[in-house]
Amino acid sequence: TLTSTLTSTTRRQHALQRTAPEETVTSSFGRFIQGVQPSHLSPKVIQRSKRMVTTEVFDLALQHCQHMYAPDDISFVYGRNGTKLSPTLAAFVNGVAVHSMDFDDTWHPATHPSGAVLPALLAISDMLPKNSKPRGVDLLLAFNVGIEIQGRLLRFSNEARNIPKRFHPPTVVGTMGSAAACARLLSLDPTQCSNALAIAASLSGAPMANAATQSKPLHIGNASRLGLEAALLASRGLEASPLILDAVPGVAGFSAFYEDYAPQPLPSPEEVEMHSFLLEEQDMAFKRFPAHLGMHWVADAAATVHKALMDLPIRSISPNMVQDILLRVPHSKYINRPYPESEHQARHSFQFNACTALLDGEVTVQSFQNEAVLRPELYELLSRVRVEHPQDNPANFNRMYAEVEVTLVSGDVFRGRCDTFYGHWRNPLSEESLKKKFRNNAGAVLTPDRVDALVQAVDELEYLDDCTPLLTPLQ
Amino acid sequence: MNVVVLFCKLRTFLLNYKQTNISVTESFGAAVSSLNAAHLTDGVIRRSKRMMLDTLGVGLLGTSSPVFNVVLQHGKMYQSKENSSVWGRPGTFLPPYYAAFVNGVAVHSMDFDDTWHPATHPSGAVLPALLALAETLHSKPSGLELLLAFNVGLEVQGRLLRFSKQAHNIPKRFHPPAVVGVMGSAAATAKLLGLSPTQSMAAMAIACSSAGAPMANAATQTKPLHLGNAARRGLEASQLALLGLEGNKQILDLESGFGVFYQDYIPQHLAEVTPNGHYRWVLEDQDIAFKRFPAHLGMHWVADAAVNVRTQILTEDPNADLRQIKRITLRVPSSRYIDRPIPDTEHQARHSFQFNCCSALLDGEVTVDSFSSKMMNRKSLRELLHKVHLENPEDNPASFEKMYCEIMVEMARGETHTARCNTFYGHWRKPLSQEHLVRKFKTNASTVLTSGAADGIVQIIENLEKIPDCSVLGSYMQFHKHVTQREQSYYSASV
Repeated sequence: TLTSTLTSTTRRQHALQRTAPEETVTSSFGRFIQGVQPSHLSPKVIQRSKRMVTTEVFDLALQHCQHMYAPDDISFVYGRNGTKLSPTLAAFVNGVAVHSMDFDDTWHPATHPSGAVLPALLAISDMLPKNSKPRGVDLLLAFNVGIEIQGRLLRFSNEARNIPKRFHPPTVVGTMGSAAACARLLSLDPTQCSNALAIAASLSGAPMANAATQSKPLHIGNASRLGLEAALLASRGLEASPLILDAVPGVAGFSAFYEDYAPQPLPSPEEVEMHSFLLEEQDMAFKRFPAHLGMHWVADAAATVHKALMDLPIRSISPNMVQDILLRVPHSKYINRPYPESEHQARHSFQFNACTALLDGEVTVQSFQNEAVLRPELYELLSRVRVEHPQDNPANFNRMYAEVEVTLVSGDVFRGRCDTFYGHWRNPLSEESLKKKFRNNAGAVLTPDRVDALVQAVDELEYLDDCTPLLTPLQ
Repeated sequence: MNVVVLFCKLRTFLLNYKQTNISVTESFGAAVSSLNAAHLTDGVIRRSKRMMLDTLGVGLLGTSSPVFNVVLQHGKMYQSKENSSVWGRPGTFLPPYYAAFVNGVAVHSMDFDDTWHPATHPSGAVLPALLALAETLHSKPSGLELLLAFNVGLEVQGRLLRFSKQAHNIPKRFHPPAVVGVMGSAAATAKLLGLSPTQSMAAMAIACSSAGAPMANAATQTKPLHLGNAARRGLEASQLALLGLEGNKQILDLESGFGVFYQDYIPQHLAEVTPNGHYRWVLEDQDIAFKRFPAHLGMHWVADAAVNVRTQILTEDPNADLRQIKRITLRVPSSRYIDRPIPDTEHQARHSFQFNCCSALLDGEVTVDSFSSKMMNRKSLRELLHKVHLENPEDNPASFEKMYCEIMVEMARGETHTARCNTFYGHWRKPLSQEHLVRKFKTNASTVLTSGAADGIVQIIENLEKIPDCSVLGSYMQFHKHVTQREQSYYSASV
């Protein structure tokens, strides 16, 4: 029963927590957002979060936002020289850019945390007058607040640990994270911070069915802008439910998005020696190619097979050689697509990514372009793919694996397995690999000197008196 | 999954397969795109015009609310050349997206707007978006086109609500206007924009990613934003669809699509729309409730029963002192979020069985003024609140179609008075007369508009099918009574 869940939750509370009798989970979040200070950021958290800030900037059709109405042009659109929009629309557009190719970071429990937070923070920074730009460390802190809140919320439900089926996580926790981050950067008081979260809850939640469609990137864009809106509304005094994060029987708050929901208060930063940010314990996965995270296991496994095949005298891979391709992957309907028809579907297809990696030895940005997607040899390979869902392969980014087993017509069988792909939090990208990814991406849109300036700005972020060096190159 | 559900799913599948090979989603896209004015029946026209009038009135009244002020300040950050009227604020224009938002908030700011069955507030999600959009279109839509688009927006909401049994009861999880309202707004604006069936489908798919807000924010200042957001985000979805954005083409068919908002979800195709054929609208079969005072619908049963009891007490003894009431027992459905013994805010008071009961007992009616601080903090009211006890009888379901309210008042000297309300005046089973509806509108509208403007709007709605340019409504909605006439240069040709 709900009562017994709450009781055992109380017993499990962290020893350091000393919550006042009347304090609700919701108000503990409000106090945390307002009270946490730069001094609470550990070096490891700083380092990890800066890696996340090194985000990609991508080109995006601005047509829809040019039609949208935002002539209060203040905030810049990534990589569009001088194009400005209102802060919330800039957050929206930039957020869409971040997730447009499903290339952004992924955490555990599963969500794409940065894309929901960073665009909103940058939009606010653009909004503030020249002499009042936040310091680098303020930006970094607000960013971490946004990430932390998302991580905490995801831990309120066991359901959240598995690949989602109902609501797309960035739309559930991302909006909340954005609201929290913006509230922090705007220095709202604890009550306003709680209200920002509650207002954001009414803007959260989008169904999984739109993942793997062109609408998916809007999930992150909306999370970013709506969280910003929530914070702005809260700053004007709008109030919402003071129990939005608490479990109230008969009236759903944030719990509406989960079947099992057991919230815990956040320890107040003043009460605890060192607030332990989740990012400290749980690192982030960065993708090496723009597709759903699950694809990375399958690509690495298939690449192993490709390499083995290339070692053969024939030194090439032709579909005629292949009799059968067996994939052993977790069960997840929305990434199981035998014949993807669009680029968005291809990014969410075990089969497509396996076959691409088999053919080419790797999956890259170019793998999803039309010519590559429509290759006849690829189609041939796709028609030979079977998928199995072993019992021991859960739909969970922390525990899943992928196995690719290729049977040639000659009868030879080649097998590849990947438990942890390079880029996963257990096997993080090196600084060099991450920067290389950044330069490849940013360089598609910005001049080399701006790219360098960005790399440097992020490197020194916590020392910048003024975050303008981060903002200017993005314009 | 039990056998019954399985059977229903199978039956639906077979029916659908027999009828057509298209998906539920496609059937919606086709309907939205193909329905035309010829399909509007007289009954539907009459009912939907009543809804429009009521919505405009409560919206005008709502422009005086604090929450409206907050969102207006917010929206003003984003000025633009594209102009849509902000109701009740002469000379204030916002981009349609934000005009739809703030006007939608106004409509629901006092919980005074219409309520349907299954439960939602359908008009507030649709009308503000349509009017805001209409004002920016190069070729202004006619009154008839507005009427059609409005009904498309209602129809979609009504149909979607019938896809789940859960939707028939007072909601616990997601606030219905946030679930179906945005879909209705998307459908209605798609209609007004003349989107193709494919684009109409896309509009709904995109809107679906904007659906859903938790019940916990009902009875707070944020609740009106649920309607405002539904209006604006549905409009946005249509605009994005027009630009070619796509979503999931099976959005209404999938459990992982629109189905995520319900535990039991069985979608059905909309009937095929033939150009000259008959179309059966939900509004034809299921009328709507209009509120007589600004509070949650459940309060209306309580108020009517309480007034009845008060009459009994006073009939027996015209000098009866209501402080002599010893105990009040309220027998109402079980619904946590409208059970508030001692409400603190006006929003809470609008969602409190106990408060509305006591107000009606003391004053013989509940009005707009009952929720002012002065009235809320009256000693006599506060004292009476402490005497109320709630009971949730088994036979009193949390459904606007089936609930009742029984009040038993026990006096100090021991005598008791009981009254029961099964259907309050204004419920769809006992609709407000046209006279009373118009009176409600004029009372609301005249807090903000000149009486000439209020009369003008009544006339326009009454003759809506013949109005060549529906955007005149926007101008009328700005005819503020405290702003001198010469400042209002938007007066267009008279009706």
